[in-house]
Amino acid sequence: MKPIKFLKYIMSLTLASLIVVSCDDSLNEPLENEVVLDGVDYTKTEDMFRLLTGAYAKLYELQWETYPLISVRGDDVDPNGDQEPLLATDVYRYDRSFWMYNSAWLNLYSDIIDYHANMEQIALYKEYAPNPAEADQYMAEIRVMRAFSLFQLSRLWGGLLIPTSSSTDELYTTEVSSREEVMQHISAEMDASIPLLPNVHPNQRTDIPGGITRYTALAVKALANLELKNYQEVANATGQIIESGAFTLYPDFYELFKIPGKLSSENILELQYSDLGQGSGQNFSYLYEFFGPNDYAPAVAGAGGGWGFWEPTEKYIKFMLDRGETVRLETSVLFTEEGIAKIKSDPAYATLPAWVSNETRDGDIIGKTDGSPNPRSIFSSGKHYLPSNQLTPGRTVYGTNKNFICIRYAEILLMHAEALTQGATSSVMSADAALNEVRDRAGLGDISGVTLEDVLNEKYAEFAMEWGIRFYDLVRHNRTEELDYDGRNYVEEEDKYLPYPLGQLDLLPQLAEYEQN
Amino acid sequence: MLALAVLSGARAQTTVSGKVTSADDGQPLPGVNILVENTTKGTVTDIDGNYSLSLNEDENVIIFSFIGFATQSVNVNGRSVIDVSMESDITSLNEIVIVGYGTQEEKDLTSAIATVKAEEIQKTPTSQAMQALQGKVAGVQIVSRGEPGEGPKVRVRGVGSLQGNSDPLYVVDGMFFDNIDFLNTADIASISVLKDASAAAIYGVRAANGVVLIETKSGSYDQAPQIVYDGYYGVQVPQNVIKMANSEQFSQYVRETGSSADIAFLNAAFQRYGRSRVNPNVPDVNTDWYDEVLQTAPIQNHSITISGGGENSRYAVGASYFDQEGLLKHTRNDYERFNFRSKVDFDATNWLNVGGNVNISNATRYVADNAVWFKTYFAVPILPVYDDQNTDAEPFSLSNAKILGYRNSQNPFYDLLYNDDRFKVTKILANFYADFEIIPNKLSFKTSYNYNFGSVNQRTVDFAYHDGLSPVLSGIKKQNTTSLDEIWDNILTFNENIGAHSFSIMGGYSYRSETADLLFAKGTELNPSPNPDNEEYWYIDNGAIDVGEVGDFDDENNDLGKFYGTSYFGRISYNYDDRYLIYGTFRRDGTNKFQEKWGNFPTVGVGWVLSEESFFDVKPVNFLKLRASWGKLGNDSSPAAVGKPTLVGTETAIDGILVLGNEADVFYDLLEKWETTEETNIGITARFLEDRLSLEADYYIRDTEDAALPIVLPLVRDQIRRNRGVIRNSGLELALNWSDNISEDLSYSIGGNLATLKNEVRDLGGQPYLNAGQQEFRQRSIIGEPIEAFFGYEVEGVFQNEGQISSSGLTQEFIDANNIIPGDFRFKDQNNDGVIDDLDRVVLGSYLPKLTYGFNIGVNYKNIELTANFQGQTGHSILNRKRGEMLFTTDTNIDADLADNLWRGEGTSNEYPSAAGLRKAYNLSMSDYFVEDGSYFRIQNVRLAYSLINRELFGAPMPDVRITLTAERPLTVFDYNGFNPEVADGIDRQTYPIPGIYTIGLNIKL
Repeated sequence: MKPIKFLKYIMSLTLASLIVVSCDDSLNEPLENEVVLDGVDYTKTEDMFRLLTGAYAKLYELQWETYPLISVRGDDVDPNGDQEPLLATDVYRYDRSFWMYNSAWLNLYSDIIDYHANMEQIALYKEYAPNPAEADQYMAEIRVMRAFSLFQLSRLWGGLLIPTSSSTDELYTTEVSSREEVMQHISAEMDASIPLLPNVHPNQRTDIPGGITRYTALAVKALANLELKNYQEVANATGQIIESGAFTLYPDFYELFKIPGKLSSENILELQYSDLGQGSGQNFSYLYEFFGPNDYAPAVAGAGGGWGFWEPTEKYIKFMLDRGETVRLETSVLFTEEGIAKIKSDPAYATLPAWVSNETRDGDIIGKTDGSPNPRSIFSSGKHYLPSNQLTPGRTVYGTNKNFICIRYAEILLMHAEALTQGATSSVMSADAALNEVRDRAGLGDISGVTLEDVLNEKYAEFAMEWGIRFYDLVRHNRTEELDYDGRNYVEEEDKYLPYPLGQLDLLPQLAEYEQN
Repeated sequence: MLALAVLSGARAQTTVSGKVTSADDGQPLPGVNILVENTTKGTVTDIDGNYSLSLNEDENVIIFSFIGFATQSVNVNGRSVIDVSMESDITSLNEIVIVGYGTQEEKDLTSAIATVKAEEIQKTPTSQAMQALQGKVAGVQIVSRGEPGEGPKVRVRGVGSLQGNSDPLYVVDGMFFDNIDFLNTADIASISVLKDASAAAIYGVRAANGVVLIETKSGSYDQAPQIVYDGYYGVQVPQNVIKMANSEQFSQYVRETGSSADIAFLNAAFQRYGRSRVNPNVPDVNTDWYDEVLQTAPIQNHSITISGGGENSRYAVGASYFDQEGLLKHTRNDYERFNFRSKVDFDATNWLNVGGNVNISNATRYVADNAVWFKTYFAVPILPVYDDQNTDAEPFSLSNAKILGYRNSQNPFYDLLYNDDRFKVTKILANFYADFEIIPNKLSFKTSYNYNFGSVNQRTVDFAYHDGLSPVLSGIKKQNTTSLDEIWDNILTFNENIGAHSFSIMGGYSYRSETADLLFAKGTELNPSPNPDNEEYWYIDNGAIDVGEVGDFDDENNDLGKFYGTSYFGRISYNYDDRYLIYGTFRRDGTNKFQEKWGNFPTVGVGWVLSEESFFDVKPVNFLKLRASWGKLGNDSSPAAVGKPTLVGTETAIDGILVLGNEADVFYDLLEKWETTEETNIGITARFLEDRLSLEADYYIRDTEDAALPIVLPLVRDQIRRNRGVIRNSGLELALNWSDNISEDLSYSIGGNLATLKNEVRDLGGQPYLNAGQQEFRQRSIIGEPIEAFFGYEVEGVFQNEGQISSSGLTQEFIDANNIIPGDFRFKDQNNDGVIDDLDRVVLGSYLPKLTYGFNIGVNYKNIELTANFQGQTGHSILNRKRGEMLFTTDTNIDADLADNLWRGEGTSNEYPSAAGLRKAYNLSMSDYFVEDGSYFRIQNVRLAYSLINRELFGAPMPDVRITLTAERPLTVFDYNGFNPEVADGIDRQTYPIPGIYTIGLNIKL
């Protein structure tokens, strides 16, 4: 028995000692697959580029609800479908608790804060960068992205908080900047960025084809100054772009908004999307289905339609017909049989040009063809349409592989003309020349002695369904009676800005204070 | 008294002998303690249950006691043979209760522990043991789930976490689990729910949601081999199926909406399918979609256990098979599970016990696409299942509502027929132990290693099909998750009795590691195209690999990664003279999940057994104990927090080429520590009237502090998690049981329990509220209100006429802007400012029931046993999210109650708006139109059992046979407009119905 008793104590002791030498070290194991910033090696400056492409990924991730909210209020387009916030906003009935307000606000501001975060990281690399100017250029590109987001925010809400870093702590005490201060801030930001940016057409960049260049910054500067009615600044900025000769209008207006127009000579800022040339698998896309017609007989079988949520107005169509427009109307509006009948029911438009058809030139048939009513839109936005025969074989979702243009050279020309009609001067190009260059591409004859009226009409014709350009034009020039179509009643000042989203008022009392003053 | 025994030593002696058997099954009981009253003289029964005892002349009363059986006193009265049949007694206070890392006698407990035994668990035909506890344990809310293989939602004493899960910790023979879906219910010996902090604190950081201890069945020492078959077969019947509007009701409703689009769709149905000859205003189609998709489905379970033991060993070996088909037709929707287990214990020497336990579970689950439930509800009745005119559709010519003009295809058969989702789940639980008896009966050391390997292979197959308008491509996604958890426990236990003082001291160390890995990939456009008949070709390799769907990390899955824990713990329990009880445990837990690595979790409890005091002389009260305890627990289930800014990878396309990037994520979660819960519990345990009436009552206050919660930041969507929340749950729990024998042949029992719950958010890190749920169906946690309460307008009624609108107090501007007309809701203008806006929103209800209750009756007459359980809950709300879907898609069917009772002119309805009003955003604002009373009462289980014991068949002894008929959930009564009042999170969007189950069962013992 003795040896066994001995064994008993030995075993107990061995086990007890095992416990003592046990494994508390494992508590310091890091979490899996989390790259923490304080572990980043900033001397590996080749990683800096990834922060820039990360920022582009942010820029290109335009959420579906942000764009319609920015663009819905003009007389060029009406929303359709079941999104109450859009339907109400379209008739200038605003509600601070609409989800879409809060969502668009968060989308744009989250991008801004994220841009700051990436710029702050690039600044840390700069110290070790063999070519510090590269870091400066990257940061300048992101500053332009940030300015573009801020610009859209201010168009919607007027006065804003201007973040200065990725830290949100400071915002609780940040004063609200007026719309003018925001636009001036944007303009100053662009002035600071311009010298740091490459002096080429975006599509000439080899590192990031279609990326941001000096001209993008100039264009954003022009947009901000246009809002401020600093027309001379607008003329100067647009003049520089025109003078560079880097840009030309893409000759085929119809194809500009389609695959051939990707990274075209006309585009100054565009959101890039791609299916990577593959018929299936990974795909980057905006949610174009929002715009697409909900009854759709595509030339390529299997291609999908959309929701019918975005409908060009009859007012716009008749305006275009009155002007004898062809390619711009064809490109901007997709007609259904029902839509054509609706226009024709007005005796003044009883006969339409022969080309007006429910079949696009690429053979896609829009809307119902059996005489039954279309459930939602009877017209759809052609600028957000990609013909089924341009889809990569295998892809079926509406608009797959289509880029989303934000700023194009035509807008530069017409802003230039607008500024000149408002008293600015330019040695680069006259208002007549700028306007006629755009008309020429549209197949229209030259005019001379261009007035503000001519410019605004030209912009209406040219930019319908694009970024609410029309709405902001009318508001800027107090021509808001144009907005009172189809029973709408736009009230100056009261309807200019959206109310701050409820969730933000709860967090930032200064917004409520600013709104009341 | 002792003196009396000594004095009596000289008297003449007689011998009494006999056999002790179990009243349950007539089997002999070995090891029964037999004591002569008022002496220390006694014996135990042998392996055949026999005993023999010599008595002095003046000794007349002998006492038979055995764990798990009611103690019996027998007057000898000169007899020499006394056979005793012992009644099992699950409420006996000498019952050994499993507590963490040890056992205690129930009478010594100072905390709230509820134990449910095998017999009770097996009454419920289910694969999920916890389901059997529904309505039986006060303070434990069980929310059933109807889907085959899906475990119920279990909440112990409310919800104390905003972020982490609220599931209790399951400890199966020492191993930690998040759920016990792999266990065969017939293999479980007991389930103990450690409800309060004092009981659970020994499990420290994992214990805040309560701890459920599960012991699997063992063999017994000195037990003849026993072969037990236990099984049942039954059917599940869909019940309380909601009635949807039929074609006639639907057509009327559509016309009433005045919506030209919807009327056009209706006309399209006329054109396509013709007019009904019965009612020419209705298309000649009337599809009852629930009828088309629902079926009565079988359920069955069979297990065989062989158990026994010798002097130095005991064993239990078993196998079981469970199969449950789903309630959906035309799709694979079922759960099948094979379990094998073996549990052996050896007394290797007189100082060393060793043993091991292995449980292998292999399950296959086919899950039907949840969208089926959604679509079945919404599909319009004027659409047939099949449409011969839809010739482009293949492989089946299913109808497509899009052809009629509807936004979606609607037909749920696309989801039934064209996909197949399989989970293969393997779990291997093993544990091994060695128990050293260093000082016999005093000091022992036990080391045990627990191992759990789990593997989940998921395969999701989408068949290619054409819906008549566009083709859908085929695809296969496979995802394999493997996990390996290990726990190594080392425990030193010391027991000592010195006079009236008895101590038990335990100290231990535990090391825990949990790792999980994931790999997934997807292929599309497979060739050959997958279909139900060519499963052998369902491989990703046969298609194009979708590079966006390949990976080995999932941010959403909190279980992935490597987590470690080390713990030191101890317990002291002290009992003075069975009158005063003191109990304390302490656990120090370490984990790598949070910034703070170590936490301490102490508890103390005291008990005073009044009935043992000499001054206590209340005859009907046999036992009365007052208990009080306090303890601190942790909850580490909130997702791990990185605590620092990170870099996140991005992908985008530049000039058509995939470009990777990085984004600095500065909004990081910082959770310094786990959530801690402090709980105070006071309780009474009492037995009255010769143990026939038992009472357990508890009141608790449970505060969760440092609750992880999202802090909403200004301007940005990102929210950051911090330990800032405080949540309180409090309630009263009461359980009363009465059992009595009227005669030898007739006995009965009756019992009931109830629990109240008050859930209250007390701090949100300075924030006045925290939003939850969908924007349109807002839920909000507000200080002083229950967690994630439904939040919206109060409906006062429906405007009946113009006069009511103009006199409503609403401003004309508001009335015009919202175009309010008769038939629209009248919402309460809480602040009387003439407009209904965000300021008028109030708390409309909580998904947590304020009261849960259950009661049971049981009658035994000779060989017949009838039991019935009832349960219900009240004081909670359900968001009828199905009706809310109208906000997003108007062109769908509605339920019959709504269709029948829409407002159709003055005085017709004050509950529902008009058909046209149903489509207005104004009426669809979140309000108590959507938030309904979720109360229900249910006949949970009725069971009739007939036993044949000690019978002979053709002269040979027949095995003991027991036949049972069970009706599970035969009746549920509720007002809610859905088919299922059990909705775990209160949001009823697409919930699997919970069937009634009727089974016949057979138990054979050889």
